[in-house]
Amino acid sequence: MSGASISAETRRERRRRERLAERDAAIPVELYGLKRGTVTALTTCCVLFALFTLAPVAWVIINSTKTQSNIFGSFGFWFASPFEFFHTFANLFRDIDGDGTYANWFLNTVLYSLSGGIGATVLAVLGGYGFARFEFRGSKVFFAIIIAGLLVPITLVAVPLYLAYAKVHLINSVWGMILPSMVVPVGLYLMRTYVELSIPRELIDAARIDGASELRIFLRIALPLMVPGLMTVLLLSVAGTWNNYILPLIIFSNNQLFPVTVGMGLWSQHAGNSGDANLYPLLVLGGLVTIVPMIALFALLQRYWRGGLLLGSVAN
Amino acid sequence: MSAISMEKLSKVYSSGVSALAGLDLEVRDGEFVVLVGPSGCGKTTTLRMVAGLESITSGTVRFGDLVVNDVSPRQRDVAMVFQNYALYPHLTVAENIGFALINKKVPKPDRERRVRSAAAALGLIDLLGRKPGQLSGGQRQRVAMGRAIVREPSVFLMDEPLSNLDAKLRVRMRSEVLRVHKAIGAATLYVTHDQVEAMTMGDRVAVLHDGELQQYATPRELYDRPANLFVAEFIGSPEMNLYEATVTDDELLLGSQRLSLGPARTLLAPYRGRTVIAGIRPEHLELVGGAGAGQAGMATLVADVRVVEELGDEAHVFFAIDATAAGASMLVAAAGDAEAGMLAGATHNGVAQINSRSAVRRGQQVTFRVDTGRMHFFDPDTSVAVPQMPG
Repeated sequence: MSGASISAETRRERRRRERLAERDAAIPVELYGLKRGTVTALTTCCVLFALFTLAPVAWVIINSTKTQSNIFGSFGFWFASPFEFFHTFANLFRDIDGDGTYANWFLNTVLYSLSGGIGATVLAVLGGYGFARFEFRGSKVFFAIIIAGLLVPITLVAVPLYLAYAKVHLINSVWGMILPSMVVPVGLYLMRTYVELSIPRELIDAARIDGASELRIFLRIALPLMVPGLMTVLLLSVAGTWNNYILPLIIFSNNQLFPVTVGMGLWSQHAGNSGDANLYPLLVLGGLVTIVPMIALFALLQRYWRGGLLLGSVAN
Repeated sequence: MSAISMEKLSKVYSSGVSALAGLDLEVRDGEFVVLVGPSGCGKTTTLRMVAGLESITSGTVRFGDLVVNDVSPRQRDVAMVFQNYALYPHLTVAENIGFALINKKVPKPDRERRVRSAAAALGLIDLLGRKPGQLSGGQRQRVAMGRAIVREPSVFLMDEPLSNLDAKLRVRMRSEVLRVHKAIGAATLYVTHDQVEAMTMGDRVAVLHDGELQQYATPRELYDRPANLFVAEFIGSPEMNLYEATVTDDELLLGSQRLSLGPARTLLAPYRGRTVIAGIRPEHLELVGGAGAGQAGMATLVADVRVVEELGDEAHVFFAIDATAAGASMLVAAAGDAEAGMLAGATHNGVAQINSRSAVRRGQQVTFRVDTGRMHFFDPDTSVAVPQMPG
């Protein structure tokens, strides 16, 4: 048996053990003081809410396979002939209506999201660790100012933002999208909280006593323990930039720099005005293609949210 | 020259709270000194200032003749064992132990040899590949020790390293810690709130209370000649019985009972006609029989037995006399006997340590012979001990 299959077997075994452990740990509802009827009613409500939330996604998946006439003419939650998925998919990569291609917008979105998201994560990790584990004068005030930024909606500052960006030549520049995307106050708040709760001061003290420099303590001791929180911030930052509409709408007039959100907004406008039969299927399939990477990213990174990393480091 | 010396060491926080007030203490080369006291007395603060993990408000800390107030922890050549172990959870046992050597840029072969040597000394050879999460409490504590000893430091600091272990393991690890200390030979400052640990482990013990040093002496000296009321109560288990007493020409009045002072009358001469606080260790009360069993000329106390705790080789008899208890040991319910606390009149103000073969029952009235030559006396205003007779 090869090494890869041995480790796969171990992973399968591990997952099986975890499933069995979860089943063993489950407590009958009666022990929570709940009646079965109450549980059934609550579960039904949750299922209905889940259906309500997932219904648009199901609609998009199903209707991405239809022609425009079938999108409007057939039952929304079932397929209809002809199956146009691949034809529509090919059209995504054509310059429809002279507004630019979906593929170009998609690549722009990937660029802005990854750059902004990674930059935001780096800043949040460094700032969060600094605020959590260093004592310096004014730290509370600085932190409050950063968090106050959360209270200001971007629509409120759209006009001054445009004027400021114009002064520093960030209009119609990729840096106009990337740089502000790296500033995520909620990410810094999350990292500070995560460090305070998950990295005991004694660990840092022990590393200082062991002769490590502050940089080495951060890279070798703190950062590996911050991975679950770091992944959460990365995910939120990437998703936030991926879905951002207002900022690129303000700073971009060049179609070639649009992310998917603004590009499809443009298609949506044209579709509404001109009734172009080519655009509605593209809008539906484009929306589906846009959300697939985010779902994949959440699924890929969920293992970092598992607990137990700090097990054994500090006595309870 | 002392390995560690603290001169008028103080720590005052911005809120005005004084954690430590002018501590003068020195630890000789190879000595094992214990800092003991209740929670909040300043012992951990002292340790952290010696380690460089806490800033110093005033005073100095010296290692040898070098003032280290402004020297960073990594440059002080100290090793520390933390109360919560503080092991790096994502590193193996070997990596935990060797982390400090990597920081010192020790060559790999030398590093591996020293890690294996430290691990062997602590019985950790078979655990080198494991991570802290896969170890028991005692094993983690030994890894924390190994991480400290591998550095061959000149100063060893320990912050209540045994407090998270169960009672049996704690007793076993005490001797382990002392064995390691003897092998290393480094000056050691050990912090604990457990006076039994302090008495059994320290070459000298410093008792702290509210940020002030109460007494710094050998365990025997602390037990036999406590400097003040706090030390007298804190050291010894069960704790010392303390009563308000009035001194007459040659007797001590405890409530309605009289104790013949004997030789002790000389040292209490300045307190004639006044109140002192009299202390009697539980083992200096000898059970002579029921009420009225005492003989003429014998210093005795008649007491009502409230609770008897059988401990196998000895028994603790919790009793009440009509004297006023002094110090913190006021009228309290018997330890470990919750039921006694619920019964009206079940409170006690004294405890005696007797041979378990003596048949004593709750509710009995008994007579104790008091060894007045071993009694302790304290000034009620200053709490300072009245100097005892030599020998």
